[in-house]
Formats: sequence, C-alpha cells, structure tokens
Amino acid sequence: MIYRIRHLTRYDYSGPATLSHNEARMLPRELSWQQCLDYEFTISPAPIRLRERIDFFGNRVAYFSTEAVHRSLEVVVTSQVQTSSRPALDIFSTICWEDAVSDVATALRTGNRDCIDARLFILESPFIRHQLSLAQYAEDCFSSGRDLRDALMSLNERIYDEFTYDPDVTTTATPVLEVLATKRGVCQDFAHLMIACIRALGLPARYVSGYMETLPPPGQEKLLGADATHAWVAAFIPGWGWLELDPTNGSLADERYIVLGWGRDYADVTPLKGVMTGGGEHELTVAVDVVPVSDSDHQLI
Amino acid sequence: MQPAGPSEQITNLFGDYLQQTDGSQPGRHDELSFDGSTRAHWQHLLEEFSALGREALTARSEEVQSLLHENGVTFNPYEDDPGQLRSWRLDCLPCVINMEEWAHLEAGLQQRSRLLALLLDDLYGERNVINEGLLPPELVYTHPGFLFSAADSPSQLARPLLIFHGTDVIRDQQGQWQVLGDWTQSPSGVGYALENRITLARALPGIYRDAPLKRLAGFLQAQHRCLAGLSNSRREQPNIVLLTPGPGSPGYFEHAWLANYMNFPLVEGDDLVVREGQVSVRTLGGLDQVDVILRHINDPWCDPLELRPDSLLGVPGLMQAARNGEVHIANALGAGVLEHPALAAFLPELSRRLLGENLILPCRDAVWCGDADSLVKVKHTLDEWVLRDITKPGKLFHVDQMGLEAVQLLRHDLDARPHLFTCHKAIYASATPGFNPQTKQIERQQTTLRFFSLVEPEDIKLPVPEQRYRVMPGGLSWVGQPGTPLMKSRVVKDIWVLADSPQPHISMLRQAHGPILVTRDGKDLPCRVAESLFWLGRYGERLDIRARLLRESLGKLLIEDTQHGSTTLLSDLMTALGVAPDPEELPELLALISPNQRYSREYILARDRMMTLLSDNDPQALPTIFSHFVRNSRAVRDHLGDDSWRAINNLRQRCGAMSRAKGVVAGQRLLESVVIDLAAFFGLCNETMPHHYGWRFLDIGRFIERLLGTLELLKLALLSAKIPGIPLWEVVLATTDNFTVYRRRFRSQLHPSAILDLLLFDETNPRSIGYMFKRLQRQVSRLPSQGSSSYRNLENRLIIQATSALHLVDIDMLANLEHSEEAREALNNLLDELIEPMTALSNAISHSHFSHVEPPRQLVTMNVSPGLEEPRSDQKQTATGGKQ
Repeated sequence: MIYRIRHLTRYDYSGPATLSHNEARMLPRELSWQQCLDYEFTISPAPIRLRERIDFFGNRVAYFSTEAVHRSLEVVVTSQVQTSSRPALDIFSTICWEDAVSDVATALRTGNRDCIDARLFILESPFIRHQLSLAQYAEDCFSSGRDLRDALMSLNERIYDEFTYDPDVTTTATPVLEVLATKRGVCQDFAHLMIACIRALGLPARYVSGYMETLPPPGQEKLLGADATHAWVAAFIPGWGWLELDPTNGSLADERYIVLGWGRDYADVTPLKGVMTGGGEHELTVAVDVVPVSDSDHQLI
Repeated sequence: MQPAGPSEQITNLFGDYLQQTDGSQPGRHDELSFDGSTRAHWQHLLEEFSALGREALTARSEEVQSLLHENGVTFNPYEDDPGQLRSWRLDCLPCVINMEEWAHLEAGLQQRSRLLALLLDDLYGERNVINEGLLPPELVYTHPGFLFSAADSPSQLARPLLIFHGTDVIRDQQGQWQVLGDWTQSPSGVGYALENRITLARALPGIYRDAPLKRLAGFLQAQHRCLAGLSNSRREQPNIVLLTPGPGSPGYFEHAWLANYMNFPLVEGDDLVVREGQVSVRTLGGLDQVDVILRHINDPWCDPLELRPDSLLGVPGLMQAARNGEVHIANALGAGVLEHPALAAFLPELSRRLLGENLILPCRDAVWCGDADSLVKVKHTLDEWVLRDITKPGKLFHVDQMGLEAVQLLRHDLDARPHLFTCHKAIYASATPGFNPQTKQIERQQTTLRFFSLVEPEDIKLPVPEQRYRVMPGGLSWVGQPGTPLMKSRVVKDIWVLADSPQPHISMLRQAHGPILVTRDGKDLPCRVAESLFWLGRYGERLDIRARLLRESLGKLLIEDTQHGSTTLLSDLMTALGVAPDPEELPELLALISPNQRYSREYILARDRMMTLLSDNDPQALPTIFSHFVRNSRAVRDHLGDDSWRAINNLRQRCGAMSRAKGVVAGQRLLESVVIDLAAFFGLCNETMPHHYGWRFLDIGRFIERLLGTLELLKLALLSAKIPGIPLWEVVLATTDNFTVYRRRFRSQLHPSAILDLLLFDETNPRSIGYMFKRLQRQVSRLPSQGSSSYRNLENRLIIQATSALHLVDIDMLANLEHSEEAREALNNLLDELIEPMTALSNAISHSHFSHVEPPRQLVTMNVSPGLEEPRSDQKQTATGGKQ
C-alpha cells in the first residue's frame, strides 16, 4: 500500500515565546516492509536550525530551534509511505513462552546477539515500572507451556475486550496501574499496559509509535484511535523477531500500520517535544490524515 | 623502605605513636612505622616536624585553620543558610608517597584512565562490550549516567572523551592499594588540593620550601591547555567557561576558586543560551560565544530538552550544540556512566579485552547482584554486606545496622530489581599518622586518597586509543573509614609525592599563567554577575546604614534617663529603625511589660524592640540583611579579591555573634566592628576591583541605597519626628558620619539649615545627596548602552531629573524650618522629588542591564514515574531570593 500522510501539530500560546528548542520524531522510519518515498517538513515560524539524526533506537529525529518571537508553533509533516506485509509467522516463531524467557535470560552465555539487544526492553523505563499485579493480570494468558505467539495474541485480545477506549480519561501519562484499575484509556495507555505485562514476565517488549489507516474497509467497523497518532506494541520472539500487536484494536499490525519509530515507552518516541522561553499557557491541536493512494495516483505524482 | 632508628627529638613528638602498637588492628599496615621504626621516606619529615616540637606544631595548626577560614575555604552541603557553611580542618601532616610507590600508582592510574576512556568510547559507539557479552545490558542501561541521547548512531562525530578523571584510592590493611571508585563527570577536589598546598606552604614555609616533593601547579596549566585544545575556534583565545550549579551547590567554593585560578568566567545555566546552534553567555554587551564548557553539573541535569525535563540548572539545546561540535564539554555528557559502582566487578576482564593488559590497581571487591549466582550468595549472607542502589549514588545500605523492617524491604527490592544493586564488604585502611591539635598527639587514622588524571594536552585530538594520561603528583586526602564521602569528612590532608631532589618552585600565583590571561570584566561580564554585584552594593550599604543607625540608637539608649526622661526620642528612633510598635497596640504592649525601679515600661519596650534587630529570625534584622549580602557575594565569588573575602568572613563572624550579644553595650561593640569591616570591604573593592562595569554596578547599587537611606533619615529628623531636636539631629549626623565635619565647619550648635546644607547641597561632602548624584551620574553614563541612540536613556534622565530638582530649589524657602509650615512643606516636596526618581532608577537599571530569564518550559509535560532517577546535584532554587 501507498499512503499519503499529513501530520499537523500546532501549539497556540497565550503569550509570546521567544526561543524554543524542539525535537520531532515525526518522520517515518525505513524498514524492510516500509519505505518513505518522499516527505516534506514544514515548520512555522521558520526554524533557524534544522538537523536530522538517527537516535539510539534507530529512529529519525529532527532537531529544530525557533528564535523569532512567536505565539504559535506549527509543525506539518507530509509524507508518502509505501508499506508491504510484515514478515509472516513461521515455524521459527513457535516457541513456548518459558523457553523464550530462558533464551533471553541466558543470552550472555549463549552469545545470541538478538537476545542481548532485546534485553534492554525488559527493563523498567520512565513510564513503565515492574509491578507484581501486572504479571498476575497476564498469568491467565500465559499458561504453562503455551506457545509465546498464542499467549501474546490472547493477552492482546484480552486487553481489547476488557478495556474501554475513552479519550477523555487520560492525560499523556496515566500510570499503568491506574489504567489497569479503571479499565479505560487510549492507545498509548493500552500499549504501556501490555508492555508492562510482558516485561513483568521477563520478556522484551517495546513501544511503537505511528499511524494507521483511518478509512474502514467496506462493511467493517471503523477502527478506533485512528484520527490521531497511534501506538502499539512489539514483543520479542526469540529466533524470529519482533511481533507487532495492537491491543487497542485487538489485532496484529499489518500493512495499514505505518511506523514512525520505537523505544522503551512513550518518552523515547514523543512525536514533538520542546523547551521554550515564555509562551505562557498553551493549547495543542493535532490532526492526522492517512489517505491510501492508488498505484495510478502515485504514477501521476 | 629501610627502617631507621628514631632520634631523640623524634621520640618526643612521635614517641607514643612509634612505641604503641596499633591496638585496634594488630598487623595493620602502618604508613609511618614498620616494626617500631620509621620508614625511610618519612624520616626527613619526621625530623622536620620533631624539630618544630609539639607546641609550635599546635600553633601552626591553628594558623592553618585561620588561613583556611580567611580564604573562605568552605563547602555547603546544600543548606542555603550561610551560617551552615562547613569548613574542614587541614592536617599539618601530609600523606607521604615515596618514588617507588608513586611509580606503581601512577602507572595504575594512567592505565585506569585509558581503560575507562576506551570503555566510554565503546559504550557510546559500537557497544561491543555489550554485544559480546562483556557487560550485561541491564547493568549499563539502568544506570542514570548512561544517556540514551548521547548514544546516537555509531558514526556520530563527537564521541565523548574522558578528559579528567578522579580516582579514590585507599591502602588496605595488608598494604595493597585498592581503588574505591571513579569520578568521571566533573571530578572535584583539584581546587581544594591546591588550596591546601598553598595554605600549608604558608604556615610551614621551612618544611615545604625545601622538601623534595613534586609540585602541583603544572597540572592545572596542562588542564588549561587541554581545554583550549578541544576548541575548534579560529579565535586566538578560545572562550572557556566554568559551568556551576550555583552558590547553593556543595562544591561552589571550588568552582569559584578554579574559575578564578584558571581565569574562566564562572557561569550558571541561566547565563548560557543556545542560539543559532551556538552556546553563548548573556553578557552586558550582548551574547558572547562559548567554545568550551568545563562543566560541574552532573549529566542528567545539563539539558532539559534531551535529559531531565525538570532541570532548571541546565541549558536547553546544549546536547545538540555539543553533538554538532559547536561547543565542547569537558567531561563530555554521558561520561557519568563510568561512575557505575558495578563496573569494578568487570574491569579486570575489560582490561584484558580492551587493553590487553592486566589491571595494575585492583578494585575493591564488588559484587553485582544482577548476576544470579552472586545474588544467591549475597542473599545468604546479607548482613555481611554493604549494598548500593546504582540509581541512587551516594546511598549505602549497611545491612548489619538496619532494622528488621528495612532489611525486609531491601530484600524485596533486591528480588524485584537485583540488577540495580551492587555490594561490597566493609574494608579498613592502613594507619596514617595525623596530628590532632586538641590532644597535641600524633594519632593513627584511616585515609582515602583522591588522585586526578588528565589527557596529555598534546594528545587531545588523537583517536582515543592513542591518548595518554598524566596524573597530578599529589591530590586530596581525607580522614575517615573508607567510603566516607569527602564532603562528610572533618579532616583533610595534603598528599606528598616525593621526588629525588628538591623541585623547582612553580609559582602558584595567578600571574603564572602569563600568556593565557585574557581580560574580562568588560562588556563580557555576564548579566547575572552584574545583577549580583548591584545587589551586593545595595545590601552592603543597607547593612552599613542600619548598623550605624542602630549603633547610635543604642548609644542614646545608654545615656537616656531610664525612668522619667523623654521617651519621645526613643520613639522617633524606633520609627527610623522600622521597629516602632503600632500606636493602637502600644498600650497593650506596655501593659505586658513589668516595670522595675530602674527602668520604665517605655524604656524596656524601646530597648527590646531595638535589640530584635540583632536577632536571627527577624526579617528586618541585621543578620538577615547580611545573609542577602553574603548570598550575592557568593554568586560573584570569583570577582572579589581574597582580601575582600576576608572582610566578608569577619562580617560573618560578627553577624553570627549578634543574636548571642548580651546587652546593649555588647551589641554596640559588634555594630562598631560591622561598620569598620564594611568600610574595609568596600574600600578593598574600590582598590582591587578593576574599574570596569562590574565595579560600576556595585558602586551604583551602593549609592542608590545610600541616597535612599539618607533621604529617609532626613525626612524623619527634619519633618516627621515627634520632637525634631538636637538629640535626633546628632543621630543623623553620626549615622551619616558627619558629626566631626559639622563641628569643624560650623562650630556651632546644631541647626537644621546647616544640616541641610551639609547633607543635601554640599557636593564636596561624600555623604551629601549632591555628591551622590554626581557620582551616580558619572557611573551610569559609563554603563554599556544598547544601540546608539543620541537620546539619553531612562537611567540618565532620572538622574538629571533628581539633580535638577535639587539644583533648582529655592534655598530661602527652606529657611526657618523649625517655625515655618511653608518651609516644611517645601522640604517635604523636595525630598519626595528626590526619592521618587531614585526608586525608579533602580528598576530602570535592572530592566536595561540584567537578564530576566524565565525558567524554560516544556511543551509536553510528562510525569515520569518517580524513583528511577534521583537528583544528585541540587535542584536549583527557582526563586532568586534576596534580590527583592
């Protein structure tokens, strides 16, 4: 699939801001199943400096600073992204979950590079602390000897079934335990919760930030969490790789999911953050459009 | 190390030490003695000290202490209260290291620096040590010193360098050197080490001048070359600044000392700004680009954009500027990961793999609990261990001293997050002799030694594996059980590294740097420094006026009729001092006082009210004003001369003693000294500070305050006093130090017109309003001006406005003040016309010249779950307290 994406983030300040330094993680990442065909990055007021780099996790980061006195900051990224199917699950993705735990735990001895790399994503991170109650919540899905993939998908569905999508209840940083107690939240909260459960069992899981296609296929229900940035989970299957699951929709990520980047949690992949002088209170507007482009349209461009 | 027999003199001073065996720890290695005899390298020193004798050594110890005190060698364990500043005792007896041992130590320390530098390069580059399983990922990635944002793709240009490195070392009871830990962000102690050496050389010139010991000054010169070498600047003199968390931080004395010694501007986070990708200091003349930052702020606090968002100490955008090579930071951000206490367990293997060498200096045995086998072992014998949580540097868990509940909690944490814990067993150090001036005895002590190494300046641009290190031949040592932090120790010692012959004396004086001196204090003065100097002037002068007025008031109290006499004067004085009771509450207050035969109620009330100005917790009291004064002085520590600082230290003693002053006479005496010390302080400032902008701001602050104080006093004495009369006028003249002048000039009784002439119009009298206007006008007109407008700026206009009011007044109108209501009204109007523009002037100067930095704000506020990182450095107080 080819998608045309427009992602607008706008901050309106109550007072004048004089200087701001920002970091945007809003450029789609290059992956074997995802290519960024072209993109345009528009910042207003025009930045004095704009520098792109690749961060620790391999994400594209744009640093920019604005020095003119300004009352609003608008960042628009329009991009054209081609996606194809993610690697299919195969014989190598079959592993009992306890074996997976032990594969990762013994990685230093066995020297398995992928497992060593993945261990970072078992650790606690700024938003996700290890909690006993999370392991207990996941226990039902991770019955003894169960295949890891099945267990993960069952946890994914359980969160989808038991939790209510409610954009009004959470701020950017709802503690995971609170989400577990209220059973309400947005995609970010469900992703954090699911990651916390997986990590509590001793397995690596990371936070994926991105978009998904908004238009529902004919005859199907419209998917939730679509008109904004989206977040989901990637869990590590030793010997195979990272399996992307979306607890907000109870599904696996497919061609309709466009990846911006990943990290330990939201703090590592915040789409736009900044520090400014002045500005007073601010109001945030985010608008995302993900529009599929037919091949013929693409030819015309 | 051939033992030598003790001579007779030695027996006197060191006899007890040599004869008594070490009762507490038999068989413990002793630095001084071996089988009851002196080790050869101590022999010379022993003779020197013994020749001095017990009493003289005690006297020298006291002198050392007073030198340290005078130079203000203090550290502040986070208290803002200047009374809480601690200073340590500097032992006259150094730690002595002979040439043989030094060769071993030096090689070991150099190797350690090389090893850590390679490790740092790898951790923020290819991370082979992790990929190959040498270091577990959870050991590295959970440490608050590992900065993900400093670990971009391996191809990044600016790899972090380990430029300075501090290592804490002890000699154990068996006589083996062991490393306790490393300081890799901004190792502190070099400044203290040099200051100690200078102090001891002054107190014991005979012993120090000819001693065959290695000198220290060359090390700081090399450090300067290193920093200059980092810069890519095409400027002839790279602009190097020292970044400090501010006067509230424990090491501030050293930061100011080093800035002064190395001639770097001392800046705080607020002083710096990143614009157009470059880091600059906000100065009076605008932005001044910075090439190299010697930072004394810990990693997580340096940049609120990429690191801790709640930091007010850092500079937003700093990491990006460093990443682009626009500024160089020493040590690089991210170097803090090398302070990881668990590395000790992995260094021997890392040394073999990265250097191909065996570790020369062993680390203290440390166990990382993240290793499953170690965890089992530790949990079995938990109370034998001292545990550390790696996310909370400095916090130790002595399990054998903890309560049952705390141990349970710790066990729980250990099970939940074993990789966050390291542990070691308590160790003891060898015995080092130290002189205790209280007992006048030489005693056995345990000491920790801190050594410093530095990249060879010539190697600074070479690839990391080719960089060599040099070690400062000396260091800082402190007394206490191994593991006692430097800042918690009570006694510090110099470290002598012996040489085979007397070493040429390298001058420690600041001029020694000759060619590297660059002038400053001009337009490159940071705005914050200008502001602090301005307020230093204002508070200093306020303290002076109040002290004088209180001194005179207490004087009047002493000669006042205590039973009957006019209490009106006392009431006017209370008004002048701002301690007059509310008239409505007065009867009630008086009723509370029980009069006695000697003193009337009114008298007692006035006395008590005046004495509250000497108490500690009254906001108007002199100690409070002094604390504002001293806070501003600490913020400009590097701009004040050593002698000015001595005057401040004297003031600190006086003001500290005020609340304990018993009675009026004692109070009066203290105030007398305060007046003299302040005169000394301002006199020294005038004599020693370059007459650049900094001094002008100090002077302006001082004279605005003096103007306002004098005008208020005149208003009270001539207009609003209940009984304006001779006794009150005497107080005014004495407070403004004009009594003698008046008598000499007028040779008459006091008369209001004559007072007005002397205090308002006489421009030759430095205490007159006319003189002060002239002085302010001269100073203000020479401040840097923004733009090149031919119009006068607001500050100058305000002075002209006030001066004109003074010059245009009809003198005849003011005659006959005592009897003419018109004259009084005319004077009242005049004084108001003078006061108002001066109040406005203070605001105008602040507006034009001082930076009004708002704290940076985050676009996205994230309530990151608590407990993952603990602040190591202090959180800067957001309020700029004391600046009104």
